[in-house]
Amino acid sequence: MTLLPDPVSAMTEGAAPALSVAGLTKRFGATLALDDAALSVRPGTVHALLGGNGSGKSTAIKVLAGVHQADTGRVQIGGRDQDLASWSAADARAAGLRFVHQDLGLFDGLSIAENFAFASGFPTRSSTSIRWRSLHHRVREVLDDYELDVDPRTPINELRPADRTMVAIARALQDASAGGERGLVLVLDEPTASLAQHESALLLSKLRRRAELGQTVLMVSHRMSEVLSVAHDFTVFRDGRTVATLVDAHPTEDELVELMAGRAVDALRPVGDTTATSSPRLSVRGLAGGPLRDVDLEATVGEILGIAGLVGSGRSTLLRMLFGDRRPDAGEVTLDGRRYRPRDVSDAILSGVAYVPEDRAGEAAFPDLSIADNLSVTRLRSYWSARGMNRRREHAVGRGLISDFKVKAAGTTAPFSSMSGGNQQKVVLARWLQRDPSLLLLDEPTQGVDVMSRVDIYATIREAARRGAAVLVASSDASELRALCDRIVILRDGRADEVLDADGLDPDVLTRKLLRSSGAHQEER
Amino acid sequence: MTVSTHDQPAPTTSDVEEHASHAPELLNVPAEQRFPLLGLAERYALLLLTAGICLYFSVSPKSGNVFASLSNVNVVLGGQTAVLMIAIAAVFPLVAGHIDFSLGATTAASMVLAAGLMARHDLPLPVCVVACLAMGAFVGLVNGVAVTVFGMNPFVTTLGVATLLGGIILWYTGGQTIFQGISPDLRVFGSSKIAGLPQVTAVVAVVALVAWYVLSQTPYGRSLYAVGSNPVSARLVGLRVRRNVMLAFVASGTIAGAAGVLQLSRTGSATADSGTALLFPALAAVFLGATAIRPGFFNVAGTVIGALFVSFSVSGLTLSGADSWVSPVFNGIALLVAVGLSTWLGARRRSRQ
Repeated sequence: MTLLPDPVSAMTEGAAPALSVAGLTKRFGATLALDDAALSVRPGTVHALLGGNGSGKSTAIKVLAGVHQADTGRVQIGGRDQDLASWSAADARAAGLRFVHQDLGLFDGLSIAENFAFASGFPTRSSTSIRWRSLHHRVREVLDDYELDVDPRTPINELRPADRTMVAIARALQDASAGGERGLVLVLDEPTASLAQHESALLLSKLRRRAELGQTVLMVSHRMSEVLSVAHDFTVFRDGRTVATLVDAHPTEDELVELMAGRAVDALRPVGDTTATSSPRLSVRGLAGGPLRDVDLEATVGEILGIAGLVGSGRSTLLRMLFGDRRPDAGEVTLDGRRYRPRDVSDAILSGVAYVPEDRAGEAAFPDLSIADNLSVTRLRSYWSARGMNRRREHAVGRGLISDFKVKAAGTTAPFSSMSGGNQQKVVLARWLQRDPSLLLLDEPTQGVDVMSRVDIYATIREAARRGAAVLVASSDASELRALCDRIVILRDGRADEVLDADGLDPDVLTRKLLRSSGAHQEER
Repeated sequence: MTVSTHDQPAPTTSDVEEHASHAPELLNVPAEQRFPLLGLAERYALLLLTAGICLYFSVSPKSGNVFASLSNVNVVLGGQTAVLMIAIAAVFPLVAGHIDFSLGATTAASMVLAAGLMARHDLPLPVCVVACLAMGAFVGLVNGVAVTVFGMNPFVTTLGVATLLGGIILWYTGGQTIFQGISPDLRVFGSSKIAGLPQVTAVVAVVALVAWYVLSQTPYGRSLYAVGSNPVSARLVGLRVRRNVMLAFVASGTIAGAAGVLQLSRTGSATADSGTALLFPALAAVFLGATAIRPGFFNVAGTVIGALFVSFSVSGLTLSGADSWVSPVFNGIALLVAVGLSTWLGARRRSRQ
């Protein structure tokens, strides 16, 4: 194994790289998402781009795809050097980059052939009528080439999941000859994230075969075991920087995890002392449904319990079930010693449960309504009398909440959407905390929130716990869980697989445990 | 004319807000406090415009002496009874984010039903009124169930219901106008006056007041605005989205049913008409109303002003000697301008970052 700190020099040994990126920097507001990152992909190899949450790997892919413009950076494809600061989606396509995203972008109800034709155009006769036979013939040849034994007329939704991904890949590469001798570079963003184990194994073996036939593949994935089984080379990003490049290497999972986790740079300091008491509040037994199979957990009054797990582990599902928005298939929940089985959301709210969803814009905001309206929506009845809604009191309460929760806003009459993400999140939290919930469910409470607001929000959550709420925080951010929580539950294989005491826990240890659960089907626990 | 008056203050406000968002020290001062006149101008522009138009036609030598007379005011208000009622009815589903195209047909069906029950079955007036309200509520319930429970597209669903009702009206009347056997009490009610204005207008005013109260002064009304803003968020803060939207359709259908009875009391006969001629001026009024009083949102007060604006304008134009094509052209332009303005106001609210 060769560990080279400078990825570019690695290339001097062999042939010219199919794709190389140097000096890539991208800033979003105050956050430096990419900081002089570099990447070099050898032709005819599968190259894995790895990194934890917020490492900048997704941003790098988006810059290459022309979705974001880099602040600085150069890209070299097939020997042509171009500027990434003015890089567009059309440039990426012209240069021979082909992207297949996690959402494959296929039209489910239409046939394979039609899906191909939407990307390349329908072959037509002299005027306008489509030459279906010619289209089917051409698509069948491509499918044969990709060893897909399906009829081009098959609708996408009748294909098995792995084949759908392969169809998307084949479609992206259908003009392979157009790339000339340079060939196309296939970029796959989390190709296996939504696939079951055996499906992703099938997909990866097909992918490896494409690489043997000379296809260059750049692949982003956080499923460690899969990456190890298919990739030749590895680039590891951390905090927007390239921390390691492994060429033709066979690293172990532990070595990769070590590189990805590193030292958490600015590990958030724990917020205040614990407020957990010993009186039980929430008890969950054998909860099942969706990705959850058999979840047991407990939370006491004043406790902040972290829910950790990878994407798809069922963190959000767990919270939604507790909020009555999704019915569990099985399981018993008790709240304050009484059986708790909410019929719907309003029922859960009446039991003193509150929920802040992950998708603020889509599931929590009333964007065009005023801040006062957004705050009072959870307790409209308390403002009503026969004389109508007491607007004056609504706005007075709103102003009080705005100052208590340190919201920066142009008064209570300003529309919700006029605030920044951090302030919007504070308003959503205030909306619930004014009800003094006994169980507070938070899904990614600081997503899209700036650092300063983040500190305020942590203090707010701890204060809610001090006032007697049991808090469940689902988060993909290990340092957040470490800073905020009393205990952390790791969801894995549909179970609360491991419970860690957050006090004295090294965030890197937590990160490692989390990443390792990506090899969920291995022995390692 | 409409555009310029509404247009002027608004972009200025938005410019100021954009600058404000970059200047933190200004953030604590709401726009309304910084430039109170702009907010007021936006809210009351339509009202001022209506007043201006009335003033113009009152002093204009072509229409003046007739336009300003009490009898003309009576003609305009009385003639707009059904349109105003339908406009108020339409506000309910629109606030929750759905449009109801069946209201005109519901009103027409209610007219025919009331006339038919009296003429063919000799039922007493109160029974007929209750039957019409129940019919309107039932049509609203059908719309509401289709939209909320089955998730059907409200545009197509209510259009389908409107067509269906039109067909039923044709079948029931056999294409004939029902004008005999209608209770004389109803005719008397329709032609009598209170304080010099038509009695039906008083009924409309009461309905408008109740609708205003329900939509802006009750938790229910506020929940409808929340659903209209984001139905998913509304569900996740515990609002009963389905039930409330369904109730909005029922309320709207019931008001349209009442509109039919009022209209029958004015006209004294029920024609085999599908009510489209009532629906479109009403929708124009609602969309115009969304540019006033609470700009960017459908609201009852704005709707009433919008309806008065359209009807007095058309009356003035007619009295000034304009041809009959002027009225639909004016209605059409008013509707387009109204939709454009309210879309723009809504988008501006949403994008104020």
